[in-house]
Amino acid sequence: MTGGTQLTFHCPTCGESMAVNAPMREALLNHGCVVCGTPVPQSAFSAPEPNGDTEC
Amino acid sequence: MTVEQQTVMTGAETDALLGRHETGVLSLARGDEPYAVPISYGYDAGTRQFCMRLVSTPGSQKRRFLTDAPLVRFVVYEETEAAYCSVIADGRLERLPKSELTADHVKRYGTAKRPLFEMWGEPKAELTIDLYELDPEELSGRRIEVD
Ligand SMILES: [Zn+2]
Repeated sequence: MTGGTQLTFHCPTCGESMAVNAPMREALLNHGCVVCGTPVPQSAFSAPEPNGDTEC
Repeated sequence: MTVEQQTVMTGAETDALLGRHETGVLSLARGDEPYAVPISYGYDAGTRQFCMRLVSTPGSQKRRFLTDAPLVRFVVYEETEAAYCSVIADGRLERLPKSELTADHVKRYGTAKRPLFEMWGEPKAELTIDLYELDPEELSGRRIEVD
């Protein structure tokens, strides 16, 4: 749940998606999408899968 | 005719030229069939490596030439009133699997411009952007002074 937690990065511009850790997230926010080069918004990151029990 | 003087650029001059440009021409080959394409790149003077994003569509000519580690020549040149300079890098273009990307790669690719010459008009699903690195076996620059 902390430190090494994997997030899913999904680029809204090129559609690339990949699992990332915290340093990767920082780098993507600072340097843009590694694949297409466009700036990355905070909203491009999400938990890899929903917890399951609280779907509404 | 004017007298042209050709000199070999120093490593620092070569690095500087590559640092102030963002685009060059990448040449690939298959048998005796040549293929050259203008691309944008990033250059790390510390490691003397290039990073590149190559965009292709299914069945595109470029994709036919992009095997996993093709031998390539990459050329960057500039022309000023006083001189004509060119840098030539020869080596193997290594594909960078997206699953192996690190924060360091993200930083390096951050210095490379978006693929300026590429076909962003295509439907996005049709486009494949692959990341490549070139660690040249040979990297040399030349200057021709024009009087
Ligand atoms: Zn992207």
